[in-house]
This record gives sequence, C-alpha cells and structure tokens, in this order.
Amino acid sequence: MADKETVIGPETRISGEVRGEEDLVVRGRIDGKVQLTQTLTVDKGATVQADVDVRHIVVSGTVVGAIVASESAKLTSTARVVGDLASPRVMMEAGAAYRGRVDMGDIAAARAAVSSRAVQRSAAGEKPAMRPAPPRMATAAKAVIAGKVSAPVAPASPATRPATAVAAGALGPASPPAFPRVAGAMGAMAPAWAKKKIRRR
Amino acid sequence: MAKEKDTKPMANTVIGSTLVIDGEITGEESLTILGTVKGKIAVAQNLVVEAGATVEADVEAQTVTVSGRLTGNVVARERLELKPESKMVGDAKSPRIVIADGAGFKGNVDMDV
Repeated sequence: MADKETVIGPETRISGEVRGEEDLVVRGRIDGKVQLTQTLTVDKGATVQADVDVRHIVVSGTVVGAIVASESAKLTSTARVVGDLASPRVMMEAGAAYRGRVDMGDIAAARAAVSSRAVQRSAAGEKPAMRPAPPRMATAAKAVIAGKVSAPVAPASPATRPATAVAAGALGPASPPAFPRVAGAMGAMAPAWAKKKIRRR
Repeated sequence: MAKEKDTKPMANTVIGSTLVIDGEITGEESLTILGTVKGKIAVAQNLVVEAGATVEADVEAQTVTVSGRLTGNVVARERLELKPESKMVGDAKSPRIVIADGAGFKGNVDMDV
C-alpha cells in the first residue's frame, strides 16, 4: 500500500485524540486533541476544536484551541483562529482573523503549559481558570530563536504585538477594542461569544 | 513549506499508517484506515480496514471490508467482507457476510434470518 496521505473528509467528524507521524489534512472536523510530528493543514470549511501540537500548521479554516507549532504556523486569508499560538515562525495573511496570544519564544514552555492545562482540565472536569503568567524566555533561548525570526524578538510580548494588531484590524472597526482576554479558557469549551465575535463581516 | 497536495482530490477520509486515533469517528462518507483507531466508528458509506491497520472499535457502516485486524462488534448494513489474512474478533451483523479463505474470525454471526 503506497502511503496515502491522511485526510479527514468534509463529512467526517472525529472526537477524541489524534496522534501521528505524518501529514494530516482536515476538511471536516476534529474535537479533542491533535499531536503530529509533521504538518497539520486545516482546509477552508474545516473546524478543529482542539489543542494542537505539531511541527507546521497551515490554517485556512477554523481552529479553536491552543496551538503549539514547533517550526511554523501560517494563517491564510480565510483562517479564523481563537486561542494561544506558540511558534518560532508565525505568518498571518491579510484577512486572517485571530484572537489570542502569540508567543514566538519558548516553545517548550508553551507546550508544557498546554499539556499541564489539559491535565488540569480533565482532572477538574470544568472550565479552566485563567492561564498562569505567560512563559518568559530565557535569554539564551531567545538568542537562538531570534535567528530564525525576521523581526528581533527581544522581550516577547511587545515584539509580537504588531502581528496581533494586524489581525485585530482585519476584524473591522466594530470589534470592541478592549476585549476580555480569552487566553487559557479556549479549547474544547470555547464559549459561544468567543466564536461569534471573530466572525468577519 | 507546506506542500500543495491537492493533485489527487479525495473526498473521503483516510487515516494514515502512523496515525493513532483514540475516540469517535462519525461521518457521511467512506473511511479508509491504515493506522490505528480505538473507540467507535460510524460512517454512512464504506469502511475499509487495510492490511496493517488495527481497529479496536465498535463499527457501523454500509459495507465493511477488513484486510487488517479488527476487534469489536460490527454492524454492516449491506455487506461485511473479511479478506484473506484479516483477523476479526467480535460479533458480526450484516445481511451478507463474506469470509475469505485464510481469514481469522471469532465471534457471533447474525445475518438477520
């Protein structure tokens, strides 16, 4: 059997955990958790409501949940993403709708935060509280990562702000300026308002 | 970076050989499994468990074709086929059941007669 690529078709829904060492293309829906050593592609019209831990992610559809991409993350013009995004390389095309925190710094810390949160969530069986303070990069790690990123990544949050500002602009002027932070509370139990507010007009 | 792989349009779902799914798969189309699925599968069309694939799930589909290993109860609304080299443990319910020479099967058969 030649290696067929993995595709979740448009009429198929998976709820649970998906793990693998190959590329995965989602055209349908996944709820739960996705862990891949390769590329996750979320096509237009597809929905992934999951914590995602992959090498590359390309989003053209909808993702709700924390994303950790160990190499790169790309949000195309049709992407709608709510949740924290940790990746050394983040690309957002004009038209992409995104809300959350971008961290181009310490991926390992972000990954640990996501997995510990997942554990807490399953243990508590309820909506997690606000996430703990964002992971700060160690200076040494920062220097390594800064080489891969086009802009200097100095103190993580200010540097990432322009990227998020661009996305916020795409949401249109009617979006409330001071929107409550949704950070850690995303994932499988994203509230209805979170999904609604990011809809582009 | 992400290769464009839309050369072969596939409407259906394929679970690749390194993939492990723990949970439930539901769909209105066909499903081909080369990897591992644990939990539950309900598809409206055909389910194919390829050689090398492992399924530990209760299965419901229009037709079920097994070349790999399937553990669980199967309801095939039209047809269940166990290919040579396949292994199945569980109850099978289908109006038409084909068990090829060399297939392994343990469980009850219900052909609705």
